[in-house]
Amino acid sequence: MSTDVRSVNILVAALGGEGGGVLADWIVTSAIFADYPVQSTSIPGVAQRTGATTYYLELFPRRRADLKGAQPVLALTATPGDIDLVVASELVEAGRAIQNGFVTPDRTTLVASTNRVFAIGERTAMADGRFDSELILTTARHLARRAILFDMSEYARKAGCPVNAVMFGALIGTQCLPIDRAQAEQAIRESGKSVDSNLRGFALGFDQIGKDADRMEGTTRSTRPVSMSDAVLNRMRSEFPPTLHETLAHGINRLIDYQDAAYAELYLNRLKPIVALDRQTNTVLSQETARFLALWMSYEDVIRVADLKTRKDRVPRIRKEVRAGEHEVVRVTEFLKPGLEELCSLFPARLGQRLYDYGRKHNLDRQLNVGMYIRTTSVSGFFLLRLLSGLRWWRRRTWRFHEEQALIGQWLKAIERAAGRDPALALEVALCGQIVKGYGDTHARAVRSFGLIRDRYFAENILTTAEPTFLAVAIRDARKVALADPEGAALTKQIERFSGARAPSKFLTEDITT
Amino acid sequence: MERSFKEEVKSLRLGAGDTFHGEGILAVTKALLQSGVSYISGYPGAPVSHLVDVLTDAEDILEDLGIHFEFAANEAGAAAILGASIQYPIRGAVTWKSVVGTNVASDALSNLSSAGVTGGALIIVGEDYGEGASIIQERTHAFAMKSQIWLLDPRPNLPTIVDMVEHGFALSEASNTPVMLELRIRACHVQGSFDCKDNRAGTYSGRNLIEAPKFDSARFCLPPWTYSQEKQKIDVRWPAAVQYVAEHKLNEVFAGDRNDVGIIVQGGLYNGLIRSLQRYGLADSFGNGQIPLYVLNVTYPLVPAEIVEFCRGKTSVLIVEEGQPNFLEQAIKAILQERQQHATVVHGKDVLPMAGEYTGEVVIGGLGKFFAAAWPEKAGAAWSKPADDIRLIKENAAKLLREPVPVRPPGFCVGCPERPVFSAIKIAEKEIGKTHVTGDVGCHIFSSLAPFHIGNTMLGYGLGLASGAGIAANFKKRVINIMGDGGFWHNGLTTGVTTAVANGDDGILIIMKNGYAAATGGQRIVSTPGSEKAKAPPPSIEAVLKHVGVNWLKTIQSYSVSTMVKSIVEASRSPERGLKVIIADGECQLARQRRIRPINARQLSEGKRVVRTRFGIDADVCTGDHSCIRLSGCPSLTIAPNPDPLRKDPVAQVDNNCVGCGLCGEVAHAAVLCPSFYRTEIIQNPTLWDRLIDGCRQFLIGLLRSQRPVHA
Repeated sequence: MSTDVRSVNILVAALGGEGGGVLADWIVTSAIFADYPVQSTSIPGVAQRTGATTYYLELFPRRRADLKGAQPVLALTATPGDIDLVVASELVEAGRAIQNGFVTPDRTTLVASTNRVFAIGERTAMADGRFDSELILTTARHLARRAILFDMSEYARKAGCPVNAVMFGALIGTQCLPIDRAQAEQAIRESGKSVDSNLRGFALGFDQIGKDADRMEGTTRSTRPVSMSDAVLNRMRSEFPPTLHETLAHGINRLIDYQDAAYAELYLNRLKPIVALDRQTNTVLSQETARFLALWMSYEDVIRVADLKTRKDRVPRIRKEVRAGEHEVVRVTEFLKPGLEELCSLFPARLGQRLYDYGRKHNLDRQLNVGMYIRTTSVSGFFLLRLLSGLRWWRRRTWRFHEEQALIGQWLKAIERAAGRDPALALEVALCGQIVKGYGDTHARAVRSFGLIRDRYFAENILTTAEPTFLAVAIRDARKVALADPEGAALTKQIERFSGARAPSKFLTEDITT
Repeated sequence: MERSFKEEVKSLRLGAGDTFHGEGILAVTKALLQSGVSYISGYPGAPVSHLVDVLTDAEDILEDLGIHFEFAANEAGAAAILGASIQYPIRGAVTWKSVVGTNVASDALSNLSSAGVTGGALIIVGEDYGEGASIIQERTHAFAMKSQIWLLDPRPNLPTIVDMVEHGFALSEASNTPVMLELRIRACHVQGSFDCKDNRAGTYSGRNLIEAPKFDSARFCLPPWTYSQEKQKIDVRWPAAVQYVAEHKLNEVFAGDRNDVGIIVQGGLYNGLIRSLQRYGLADSFGNGQIPLYVLNVTYPLVPAEIVEFCRGKTSVLIVEEGQPNFLEQAIKAILQERQQHATVVHGKDVLPMAGEYTGEVVIGGLGKFFAAAWPEKAGAAWSKPADDIRLIKENAAKLLREPVPVRPPGFCVGCPERPVFSAIKIAEKEIGKTHVTGDVGCHIFSSLAPFHIGNTMLGYGLGLASGAGIAANFKKRVINIMGDGGFWHNGLTTGVTTAVANGDDGILIIMKNGYAAATGGQRIVSTPGSEKAKAPPPSIEAVLKHVGVNWLKTIQSYSVSTMVKSIVEASRSPERGLKVIIADGECQLARQRRIRPINARQLSEGKRVVRTRFGIDADVCTGDHSCIRLSGCPSLTIAPNPDPLRKDPVAQVDNNCVGCGLCGEVAHAAVLCPSFYRTEIIQNPTLWDRLIDGCRQFLIGLLRSQRPVHA
């Protein structure tokens, strides 16, 4: 029965609310116009509430008129090895179709959008939980008979239509179906809703096929222009290897912007000994230390937040993001909740500490946490934040500054000690510089996590005597746990496990605190 | 119901000579109208919700035909409505999601099937089984067998489905027995076409009323008549049904070239079986092929004579039967045994899996094993290759992808008013510690998934509170019970609330009052705020609770996270014993958006002032630890590449699907998270005053602004 005409099988993979059902209807309607037997079915389930959804269609490529009443039997479920066309509105959904075996080199044309809609697991990760898009792209090119990959969501935005119209255009453009453009466009007109924008989207998708379509546009990181005119930058150029210049320039600019040139000088002074100890050709230790040091030194305090929220470029940026029309008025309200800690952190070191302890003792910390709604597009709201941002000159005297610099010092010292022994160990210590971040409770938890790691692994006698590879692995594990578990309980467990481990040096089983 | 089904309603009007194009469940609805039903009822649930949804918008068609249509309080109510067909020759149909709906309906179903019917009674069940199913995986078949209700499982194409609806009524009348028509999820949603007939009115209906009551003791469920009813089922109704099925050839035999093997298949699985046979080159695109097939469009009762006839001369027969237990296989083996037909070896669950959906892939694997056993003359490799190929395709893909792609569990919609309640519980947990939380059926059960992971047990619709009573008595902390307003009216008020009050149970009940049966597509419930169609003012849940003796009662706007946190803590610590009820009040956002979007669009086009609200995050203030997402999970609160050249972790970002519900800001406040959130109000079509004020403000702010460069 190999000469038997078989159906053309189409799997549409989409997300709830993207109009996959409408797309399936368009395919069905245009097939009916063209007089082909067609069947579609779907598993919508709870799809409208964020889930993945699939539509499955089979079209029999013989006109009804020629079939003389014979009815082809069309299947309701997709089977691996059976699919001619997979259309996915999002990259991981394309990946899911591939994973389920629906993309095969002998027959499947894959039309997929390269944009990402992140899944909940990717979004809730503490650091970066994103699935590697590159893996899906390579797999797609490898497994599909023909892979057409482009950012359909961008085209949809251009056309002002949902992504389904672009998908429809692209799938008709592949000519896998015996449906021509006019019949497909007629189906869009027939459905009667947002016809013009859907036709625009259809055309963009259709025209993409056969062009340089399977070229993926890379996501470009916006890098802010770096001005290389400063004295600090000149010093950087003369004293540091060229491979570090880009990172250092970003760091220097950031710290001048955050505080002043002297603070950027301090940054270079702090890096100098570590760069000197870094003998690896890839300078990864220096790079990562430079990166995290710049971020840590520009820790987010009340002054910084107020500063960032009153920048000149902010409101235009927001207007663009919310797609406000030229003549529309935009009002911006900040959700701020400064508490006892934020208040005390502005006082001089000792006073701040004492006030904070007093407040904690008298249970003022929760009471003082009053939610504030500050409208930065009003004069009074803006003025208040401007006043706070003007406290920059005072920052060096504050309790928070004192605390952060102490932690930074401990971290750098540990990197130096480790660098003297083993580059891999030093890198693991350096990467711990990303733990302390965030605001409020998150920041407090992060400081606690950093403290646990510091006390357990960074003590001089451990860093200088423990077996370096063993210690590096232990630190990496602890860091991962600290970054993955927001509550911090897992880190305590991880550290206990470390203490109980059969370590190569006997001191590791002793309880050491600095 | 805020969504309109006006387009679908049009296809219900089609008559003889017209061709219907559309969804399976809509075709069933049309078939009911062609069969002369006098009343229709049901309880919504995927995949059959559309049947009742469409009829809600089809008032005039129903009126023309004198058909009574109503939403039942629950499936038990819907089943009870079929009582109209017991004594009177009128046809009726009801629908629900099965197996859960059948569970709820089973009391009425037992009585209905014992009494037997005079007019045709048809129950359309959406068999929510396999991929996309949202409920426990059981078979409706067991209910059909225990109550002797006939079960239809038509081939999943529209002409057969429509045909079986019409035969279903006739079968019901010929055997005085209610009939179930079972449709799997994909069959409910299958798009196809069929040739219509004219709609027709029932003998008796709203337009031709029954004049005199009828009483026939043979149809009344009380001893001693129930004893004779059981005998009558076996002696009279069952044989009558078998005779009807055989006479009208409801089951189909498709001949094949081979006579020594055959396959018996449930009608609903026919298309998938044909596609799988194609893999072995044993069928063509029209279903013609080498293997004879016996297709059971009626899976209960079986017709022994047909089975014996089909198996005669065959050495091996395969039964393709989805779900477990394998009732068909057991019955067919028993039939062959009784008829001394020992020459036929019957395969079924020995080559196919006992549990789970029979997708193409599964059936292909089973067929290979069956043919290898039944047809040894062909090389073994030919029988294993199709399944091996599929395995290799998947293994190869998995290897190239390196790790499984991220899953997308269902979650709350953008702006869902139930999300803030779980954010509040999560924040309150920091103060009161974790406690046992009983879940209930409804969108709110998604709380048990990421990112909230709140919910320890789930026992069924409206049973959230009832399922907490035993735990509460044995648990150190106060148990939190969740219930939706849909579940509350379905049975939660009586099963849960009044019982807990009467028993003096100590616990916390949170009622999600979103105004609709939201999880099934936003159908109206009795407390849905009025519409022009409403026949009575909606009752207030608060008033009902007070009336039945709930003293500790708070209604809180679900978006007031801080107030909600305080109330949960208070309910948990209050020295007062007894049931403490918090009503989380917030309209289903899907319904709300359907309502307000057209209004806003109209006002905008008329040039009127419209304020659009949206939230945002300052990427340079966000430090990328994503705590906000863990406390919310809103689909529009997502991540984006970090614009900062020194940072690699993605920042949180609010995308343009945001409806401005404000939860992220509230959570950032209540959990003391981070200052990156801001709310924007975009004033569209601003008035002159708006612009004047804005201009002045911008001028003054410009003077205050620092002259420092924009950004490093």
